[in-house]
Amino acid sequence: MKITLTVNDEAYPLDVEPRRVLADALRDDCGLTGTHLGCEQGVCGACTVLVDGEAVRSCLLLAVQCDGVPIRTVEGLAGADGEPHPLQRAFSAERGLQCGFCTPGFLMLAAGALERDPALGEEEVAALVGSNLCRCTGYEPIRRAIMRAARDHRNGQEA
Amino acid sequence: MVDRWLRREDERLLTGAGRFVADLRVPGCLDAVFVRSEVAHGVLREADCSAARETPGVAGAWSAADLPGLPPMPDTRQGEATREWPSLVKNRVRYPGEALAVVLGDDRYRAEDGAGRVLVRIDPLPAVVTAEEAAGDEVRLFDGLSNVALHGEAGQPIDDEVWERAAVVVESDYRQQLLMPSPMECRTILCVPEGDRLTVWSGHQAPHRLRSDLARLLGRPEKSIRVVVPDTGGAFGSKSAVFPEFIVVAWLAERLGRPVRWIEDRRESLLVATRGRGQDQHVRLAADADGRLVAYELTVEADVGAYPHLGVAFPMQTAWMATGPYTTPQVHATVRSVLTNTMMTYPYRGAGRPEATSPLERTMDVLARRLDLDPAELRRRNLIPPEQFPYRTPTGRVYDSGDHLAALDLALRTLDYDGWRAEQARRRADPGALPVGVGLSCYVERSGGERGSLHDYVGVEAGEDGGVVARCGASSSGQSHATVFPALVAETLGVDPARVRLVEGDTDELPGGVGSFGSRSAQIDGAGLQHAATLLIEEARERAARMWDLPVEETAWSDGAVHPVRGTAAMGLSELVKRTGPLRIDERYEADMAFPFGTHAAVVEVDPDLGTVRVLRLVAVDDCGRALDPAVVRGQAFGSVVQGLGQALYEGVPFGDDGVPVLGNGLLDYLLPTYAEIPPIELGETRTPTPRTPLGAKGAGESGCIGTPPAIVNAVADALRLDHPDRLQMPLTPDVVWRAAA
Repeated sequence: MKITLTVNDEAYPLDVEPRRVLADALRDDCGLTGTHLGCEQGVCGACTVLVDGEAVRSCLLLAVQCDGVPIRTVEGLAGADGEPHPLQRAFSAERGLQCGFCTPGFLMLAAGALERDPALGEEEVAALVGSNLCRCTGYEPIRRAIMRAARDHRNGQEA
Repeated sequence: MVDRWLRREDERLLTGAGRFVADLRVPGCLDAVFVRSEVAHGVLREADCSAARETPGVAGAWSAADLPGLPPMPDTRQGEATREWPSLVKNRVRYPGEALAVVLGDDRYRAEDGAGRVLVRIDPLPAVVTAEEAAGDEVRLFDGLSNVALHGEAGQPIDDEVWERAAVVVESDYRQQLLMPSPMECRTILCVPEGDRLTVWSGHQAPHRLRSDLARLLGRPEKSIRVVVPDTGGAFGSKSAVFPEFIVVAWLAERLGRPVRWIEDRRESLLVATRGRGQDQHVRLAADADGRLVAYELTVEADVGAYPHLGVAFPMQTAWMATGPYTTPQVHATVRSVLTNTMMTYPYRGAGRPEATSPLERTMDVLARRLDLDPAELRRRNLIPPEQFPYRTPTGRVYDSGDHLAALDLALRTLDYDGWRAEQARRRADPGALPVGVGLSCYVERSGGERGSLHDYVGVEAGEDGGVVARCGASSSGQSHATVFPALVAETLGVDPARVRLVEGDTDELPGGVGSFGSRSAQIDGAGLQHAATLLIEEARERAARMWDLPVEETAWSDGAVHPVRGTAAMGLSELVKRTGPLRIDERYEADMAFPFGTHAAVVEVDPDLGTVRVLRLVAVDDCGRALDPAVVRGQAFGSVVQGLGQALYEGVPFGDDGVPVLGNGLLDYLLPTYAEIPPIELGETRTPTPRTPLGAKGAGESGCIGTPPAIVNAVADALRLDHPDRLQMPLTPDVVWRAAA
């Protein structure tokens, strides 16, 4: 099927089989390998991307379902000027990553939530962190990173 | 914006620019998919790939019968090749998921289409999945051979009289359940043949070992193979060997002259990745009336999986560490390694030490109850005091250094031990309150490796441009080597860390290497890099002395430059290299093993009616000697505690009657801890540098898997006031706890 994926504001005209999952289309057809596959059953969340602003497991969605819908991946997280997103800074500052394999999923999950509600509270962040898996950090640094980014985000908006 | 990223690894990993093996794009690369056995044990009657070969996009499909020259798995045991582990099943399936055939396709979808059309017929045999079942040899994995593949012991047998005379003897049985290491990235290999060279990309802990294994298996010179480890998504022990699938992929890539890769998926991983632990244990612990330990006996029945090739002797690690941190004068540990119809047991974070710590620490708590002593006091009376180091244990270890009492005291203070005991007493007096329990666990681990792997290649080179290259045989899978090692070399040389970069994980770039496992990288490679940098300084001073016609003692080194002791004319490294030629140190650095230690403590609240356990507090006090980067060490310690929490409460591999793991729903069945399960965790450190290297670093990062599980289980037993702890076997699911409480 001929579709166009719009990823990080760039159009990717593709000819894909209906069965092709979004994660594979992003990684192999668009060359955006920052999205990782950790379980291919929707549990671990490493493949989380934003589809129309919503955080989704890209291993559970077909590419054809996303024809014409705006998609954001970790490659599109930094600003147009290359300025890192507050989440990217915060993950580094709080040591929210070690091997980095699960990281893009957590980043996109948090980015989607922050964009919807910049005033994310403790409980919302706890629920967010609890929806993906990480085997290195023990999660607490990820929670701190998202809280810090939410703070920075708010301060940035006020400034 | 120098300070934007705390680690050098961070920018690429946070922007999607990391490069894991599955991210590499090689034109014409074929994807390998394995057809796997759905039975645990059986006779393979047929694996017909003909329909698979007709599938569009399939480049080829083979069973063992189609690949007569395919080499089997290497056998690390000397002179014992009677139990062959074929890379594809020839006639007998011995573990569920064992590979029966391989299909190569233009992409994963095509290869899976083909794999679905391979016709397989297996006549099932009865399966044995525990060491106890298998040891009886009613079902044999190899005809004519016993399932018992190894007997081993550490220490001397203890006379009956000792047990008879002791004031108290506690006996108990424990199960150290099978665990899946579960790095977020499963195993990977990409083999690219070009001319007479084969480049192998793999997320791997020991690239040089993988190269030598593949060279031997493929019958080609080591130099013709290059192994490169790009970004690796965690390992925890599970990525340090060569695996059957690796052999098939490398063999086919070479034979077809085409790039081939295998990207393991989670479903496969849960079936056929190496697993950790897997021991049934019996202990006897004797003490005098004052609670001084007299004798300890540990009997291990180890489930080593279907083939003894790589993991058979590994449970000896538990035997050698059986003494733990106590002055027990007599300790005897015996090991029986038994083949079972499961994928092989292999090191997983902690690797042998959790299995040694758990039975001892759980039994210490029973002994304390028996003696009516506070468990902290019992430990205090028996911990090896600092002045007794180096300490030779009855099980053959020589502990380098330690201050176990300091770690225990710090853990108790950090926890507010007395406060929680008071709260416990309060709740016990209140019939409406849920019980709380406090659990302790004192541990000692071994880091660096065993004899024969206590060395690594290290090197430091100064360039004309002022840059410094550090090289070592370690291989990072998330441990921040690219940040930590350059900082250490920079500190030693007195230069800006930004000038130093690390090269590791590429056999073409390094004269040799051992790898990263057994908490060895900081201890061996770190000390080695410091040593190499020191040698570079010496060489620089000698060259400067010759140039300036001074005795070498008249030269000095500071801030990255050599200068005459009298005078101020300093010469930096880049100038020195320009004047005197390349300046490069290459060393094989060797050091002895070290013994990190610590105390972990847990407070839990148990609902006896529901069997649920709520961890209220975890404290982990670890001593890894000098921490190269304390924040990196703490990060690993924290993650490790959470993996320990996983073993204590959630993770396990249940088997059906047919011997197949009941993990059909993947990570919905194998329960890795999520953030929802994380209790308040507080870390503490004591610092006892190892005297065995000038650097003083001991291994770090495995402590939580070792110290935390028994602390939690002891806390649950304490809350329930259990006299017979063997009713509590990990993981402490609500069902297990409810039954124990009943």
